[in-house]
Amino acid sequence: MAFAPRGPEASFFQVLDQHRASLLAALRKGGREPAGGGTHLATSSEVLAAIENVIQDIITSLARNEAPAFTIDNRSSWENIKFEDSVGLHMVSHCTTRKIKSDSPKSVKTFALILKILSMIYKLVQSNTYATKRDIYYTDSQLFGNQTVVDNIINDISCMLKVPRRSLHILSTSKGLIAGNLRYIEEDGTKVNCACATAVAVPSNIQGIQNLITDAKFLLIVEKDATFQRLLDDSFCTKMSPCIMVTGKGVPDLNTRLLVKKLWDTFHVPIFTLVDADPHGIEIMCIYKYGSMAMSFEAHNLTVPAIRWLGLLPSDIKRLNIPKGTLIPLTKQDQMKLDSILKRPYITCQPFWRKEMEIMADSKMKAEIQALTFLSSDYLSRVYLPNKLKFGGWI
Amino acid sequence: MEGTAVAVCEILKYLIIHWRCETARISKGALLEGELVISIEALNSKHQANTLHCVTTIASAGSIFGGLVLKKFLKEIQSILPGLSAELSWTSEETSYSQDVSGVTPFQMIFEAHEKPRTLMTDSLVIKNFLHKVITVLPKIRFNFSVKVNGILSMEIFGAENEPTLNLSNGIALVVNHQHYVSTPKFGTTELLCSRIHPVLGHPVMLFIPDDVAKMGLLGELILTPAAALCPCPNVFSNQLNRISSASIFLYGPSGLPLILLNPEQPTSTTFKDTSYFINWKKYHLCMVPNLDLNFDRDLVLPDVSYQVESSEGDQTQNMDPQGQTLLLFLFVDFHSGFPVQKMELWGVHTLLTTHLSAILTESHSVVQDSIQVAVDQALEQHHQAVKAHQKLQASLSVAVNSIMSIMTGSTSSSFRKTCLQTLQAADTQEFGTKLHKSFHEITQNRFLHHCSREVKQKI
Repeated sequence: MAFAPRGPEASFFQVLDQHRASLLAALRKGGREPAGGGTHLATSSEVLAAIENVIQDIITSLARNEAPAFTIDNRSSWENIKFEDSVGLHMVSHCTTRKIKSDSPKSVKTFALILKILSMIYKLVQSNTYATKRDIYYTDSQLFGNQTVVDNIINDISCMLKVPRRSLHILSTSKGLIAGNLRYIEEDGTKVNCACATAVAVPSNIQGIQNLITDAKFLLIVEKDATFQRLLDDSFCTKMSPCIMVTGKGVPDLNTRLLVKKLWDTFHVPIFTLVDADPHGIEIMCIYKYGSMAMSFEAHNLTVPAIRWLGLLPSDIKRLNIPKGTLIPLTKQDQMKLDSILKRPYITCQPFWRKEMEIMADSKMKAEIQALTFLSSDYLSRVYLPNKLKFGGWI
Repeated sequence: MEGTAVAVCEILKYLIIHWRCETARISKGALLEGELVISIEALNSKHQANTLHCVTTIASAGSIFGGLVLKKFLKEIQSILPGLSAELSWTSEETSYSQDVSGVTPFQMIFEAHEKPRTLMTDSLVIKNFLHKVITVLPKIRFNFSVKVNGILSMEIFGAENEPTLNLSNGIALVVNHQHYVSTPKFGTTELLCSRIHPVLGHPVMLFIPDDVAKMGLLGELILTPAAALCPCPNVFSNQLNRISSASIFLYGPSGLPLILLNPEQPTSTTFKDTSYFINWKKYHLCMVPNLDLNFDRDLVLPDVSYQVESSEGDQTQNMDPQGQTLLLFLFVDFHSGFPVQKMELWGVHTLLTTHLSAILTESHSVVQDSIQVAVDQALEQHHQAVKAHQKLQASLSVAVNSIMSIMTGSTSSSFRKTCLQTLQAADTQEFGTKLHKSFHEITQNRFLHHCSREVKQKI
């Protein structure tokens, strides 16, 4: 496939190509097929059968004059989560659970709402149509109360049935953006080309996109929309072509994570993150790489442990002589978050990351990517990123 | 001339006060426990036409009246009942007993009177109501009451020993089984799964004593504590029972003794005919009228004061449906003097209260009404929350049932549908839906009933 050949020379990507090769070798060594493919999704009949089994269990309980109850895994409990280098954070096989009882005044409403959403999913799957979480909420906003209730129940159902959410035919509204060397066809046949001046929204149905095509040498995940837009304005994708840029505009939604995962699984393109040198940015990066607690039950479909931290590194601050006046003191919340991240299981196998966080902790200062503009207005796209990419400045 | 009913009730009051004081010396706050036997044997008088010669026996089963001095007791009873035209005698343990009175121990007293048959019948009802009223606050006392008229015996036992109670202070406990206060047939086929009332205690208030009453030598404080409850329990009931249709007020004095001796042939005190005396009903958009229709011949504790609701003018939400809830109000008046209360002092307080009740309550009208209002507000709030919880439950069950039906009827898997029908033994989807709803309803009601019946004992 040919894109506009305005990027650097082939030698520029030498280190990147080597990096990619080492990643592929690691995959082969780990026994995983390097060729990308989709992750296993439940078929419609499997989803329908799973729901019918749930209903049958409820009716059987009633016939025995027992109060039916749902048994839900405690998704947001650290005791139910373990870390594996190749996967990231994921749920343990025998995790603690909680019961949503139909005869308890406190939980009867939740019990009913779970059944309500199950019945809606049943219809969606049967009719092969899709709805967003927002659509679900608005079918009866008074009943549900608020969007968070709907979101949590959908995740609980996904976890309970052991079926990815997209197999439930429930989509989440994406807030992420893509730009660069990528083309695909959406489920409804729409052809999308991300190599345009303005970015493209991450599609709602990642599972449905087909004919993914790219020559990208790397994928850059950008934490903030402001930085992403700045790079777009600086024609970064063109100057560094062929490449892809993605932003989740902060904490990434499910679709953005799924897209990143899909691109990795399909193309094994090296992925790097560009985040602020602060605990929040590091946490966002960890979500892409190792996953979140809330979605740990779907970790295998969402995490990309191969992600590398490109910048802004705390060590870059000193190395580049970024003016101290552009730095910001760490707040109490920052300190607590930093301490929390340092204690997480995945940091133990990332000594370089740990070192960078220790530098931040020692200096008690943080910096945004925008601090680089104090060196020059286009320092980020003209100097910082190209040098990092050319000379392997990632950890 | 006092009749048999007055005599029996006064004697019983005296005995209970004595018993109370003796028990308090050993264990303050302990509930009185024991059995009393009251029997009336009536035969046609040989000397007067249409008159019955009645021999009334009051005896204790067990030595519960230790410390009772015979001569002093007789003297005091004679002073309490000066008009009693009967012979009061005391029998010792060597005396032979009537075969109708079983398990009698040393204490036994007998008095005789002549009464018309109709009067005896009324007396019997008055006594029964008195006994019933006593056991609802002194549940561990058992009364064995029998009346034998010309050989025909009727007997009734009054007791609430194993019934759930709400412990109050000073040795009394309110029985919370609703069947004492409201008759269940009133509610027809409505399921009532919680058999308790859930009284809310108001804050105690000190009663102001009118000067002329205080001059009678009351050395201490009278404290009134209200308790309000809706009957039947609002927690588990049909949607029909969601409004107040009547109010019943019970007045108790120290030692848990009723302050008013109801008599079907005597009208209600004019003071209490003023329906706003205790509660400002306008606050609840209710218009109350006195209920003078007191049927003594029922198996319920008759209230001392009874009101019923009429719909307010212009308030279309209140309808005249006879079904509804009864607001029960229990007013407990206790006496505190700072010293251990002596028997005659307590008797004096009781007498003062029974004879000057209206005056004392009128003097303290404002504080009494405030305290009652708070308790009633809380009881109604409890009711309101229960209604909301019930509605929430019903709504949730409805959602659950509809969701299951949606999946079941929409499924293209005949094996799944067949299994669902077979499991609930339903012939078709309509029957399945009905059984599904019923099953959920039964299970949740049982659970809510269990939740409701867990009583938290309160002390003032």
